[in-house]
Amino acid sequence: MAFWFFRGLGKGIVTTRYPKAIDPWTSALPTPPAFHSDRLTIALVDRLIEVCPSRALAREHNELIFDVGACSACERCVQEGAGAVEHSGVFELASTRREHLLKRVHIGRGSA
Amino acid sequence: MSARQTTAGLPPAFSELAPGVSGARVRPDQLVAITNELATTHPARLADLFASEPRHGAELTLRAVYALDDAARYAIVECPTSGDEFPALSDLDPAAFVEECEIYEQFAVRPANDKPLNRVLIPPHADATFPRLGHRPRPELESLHARHVVEGEAFEFPFGPVRAAGWESLYMGLVTTGEEVLDLYLFHWHKHRGIERRLVGLKPERALFFAERMDGLNAVGNGLAFCRAIETAAGARVAAAAAHTRSIALEMERIYNHAAAVAATCQTTGLSVGQARAEIVLEELLRLNAAAFGHRYLFDVLAPGGVRRVGDADAIRKQLPRACGEFRRVTEALLRTNSHVDRLEATGMLTHEQAQRLGLVGPVARAAGCPIDSRADHPFAPYDQLELSPPVRESGDVLARMEVMLAEVAASEQLVLEQLADAGPGQIDVQPRSAAALGWAESPRGEALTWVSFDSRGAIERARLRPASVRNWRAFDDAARAENVFTDIPIIEASFWLTVAGFAR
Repeated sequence: MAFWFFRGLGKGIVTTRYPKAIDPWTSALPTPPAFHSDRLTIALVDRLIEVCPSRALAREHNELIFDVGACSACERCVQEGAGAVEHSGVFELASTRREHLLKRVHIGRGSA
Repeated sequence: MSARQTTAGLPPAFSELAPGVSGARVRPDQLVAITNELATTHPARLADLFASEPRHGAELTLRAVYALDDAARYAIVECPTSGDEFPALSDLDPAAFVEECEIYEQFAVRPANDKPLNRVLIPPHADATFPRLGHRPRPELESLHARHVVEGEAFEFPFGPVRAAGWESLYMGLVTTGEEVLDLYLFHWHKHRGIERRLVGLKPERALFFAERMDGLNAVGNGLAFCRAIETAAGARVAAAAAHTRSIALEMERIYNHAAAVAATCQTTGLSVGQARAEIVLEELLRLNAAAFGHRYLFDVLAPGGVRRVGDADAIRKQLPRACGEFRRVTEALLRTNSHVDRLEATGMLTHEQAQRLGLVGPVARAAGCPIDSRADHPFAPYDQLELSPPVRESGDVLARMEVMLAEVAASEQLVLEQLADAGPGQIDVQPRSAAALGWAESPRGEALTWVSFDSRGAIERARLRPASVRNWRAFDDAARAENVFTDIPIIEASFWLTVAGFAR
């Protein structure tokens, strides 16, 4: 068993500084989308709703309702809405209240 | 089932359905006879058995999928049934029992024998509104459920469904007189999510999202089987570069899963320091997955007709040999640790005969002397151009399963590295309509099968998902009973490294 002890000494401490500091590798994680309000149209939003497999998107009149809690960061909406939708880069999504995970985004270009 | 041409070497009733797949449609009174006939022409392994009922009140169709591993072919026997019973294949082939129970739960028709059935997926609290695939009235499960009788000095030790952190919900009924495990039964249904029913009516792209997540640790293996079924039904052929990308993702999935199994084995033998070293490697592998494919568990790499993501070859070339090298050093140290190896030897033994009789797959079967690997036995691109020699061990114990996994990590690393130059993007449009097909892939836990049928609009009529865990859990109680004590059970579970989610789906 002694070799496990010496191997451990040789390897040193392997741990993370999170949450004090964000680990660099987390930039590779899939993250929920961010929407550019001024580039959204109703037609595009309806297409985004159609491609979202986890039903995280919905529309109420001229607003896109984004349920971050239902999003699986699959990136289908980013592909469909290139230019108007991009990766948010945000992976710390915990919230103490469910309603904080519901985002409302104004559809800036309406039915244009 | 549309016949294209007669398949040589099979009974005359069979015709070619797709490359590597033959089919025959028989009457119920012919099912047993043709099954026997098939078994006399080839060493046929029952790979799956399922039913479908396309419309309310429509005739039920039973499908038995046999793997003819020596002939690089799957044979599907299709049999329409009416009434409340279907021919009992489990009388001929014990490997059919779990599926017969599942058919009874989902469609309310039972095998035509007097044997009691087991509860496999539908929970006891399910009422008439509980979603099922069939349309007939809910089956009376309790009246047919095999009772577990514990007598004499034995007692039942309940373990689960909530267990140690990180382990899935699973109830184990351990029957014991104190230390030795005399019997064991499992309840998987806590994780049943009705995914096969959820897929009905979906288009391929959306359905793949669920198929990948049904059993998260096999996203690529199960997803690839699903994609291949879709593509075969559409008559589509994936670009060579995309096929290599798929294979790279599949082998990287195998590597991280086997590393996780080794870490879990250390956890269960109490070798915390070995567990920590193995988990460091596992974390490096998961981060490499994220860096290369954008997801730690390789979700959303696949697409019907190709791939959605292409691996970062530079990241893989740089980091995979480093992680696998460290994994080798850790496992060499593990195999020199007597207190660890002593717990693995002669623990959870399965014989070659048991593995064959139960139709086991993957590392569990290969560790019991069954040289089956669908990458080699039923090859498709790019595996038909790669050199494969699946590792096999004979002893069938935990140590043999670990040795198989270690050899597979080394082989998968080579497969990944040699394909990097040929891998690339590619996705073709696939729109299957009024068609059905079988797809398969060798997931980390063994052969994954999918059978999908589409209606005239291209929506799914029936999707049968058969991950490797569905086949291999049935051997767990045999392995657990083989002169093992309580504390061996977690070690055996780690060495099987199955998922409850895959079984219960």
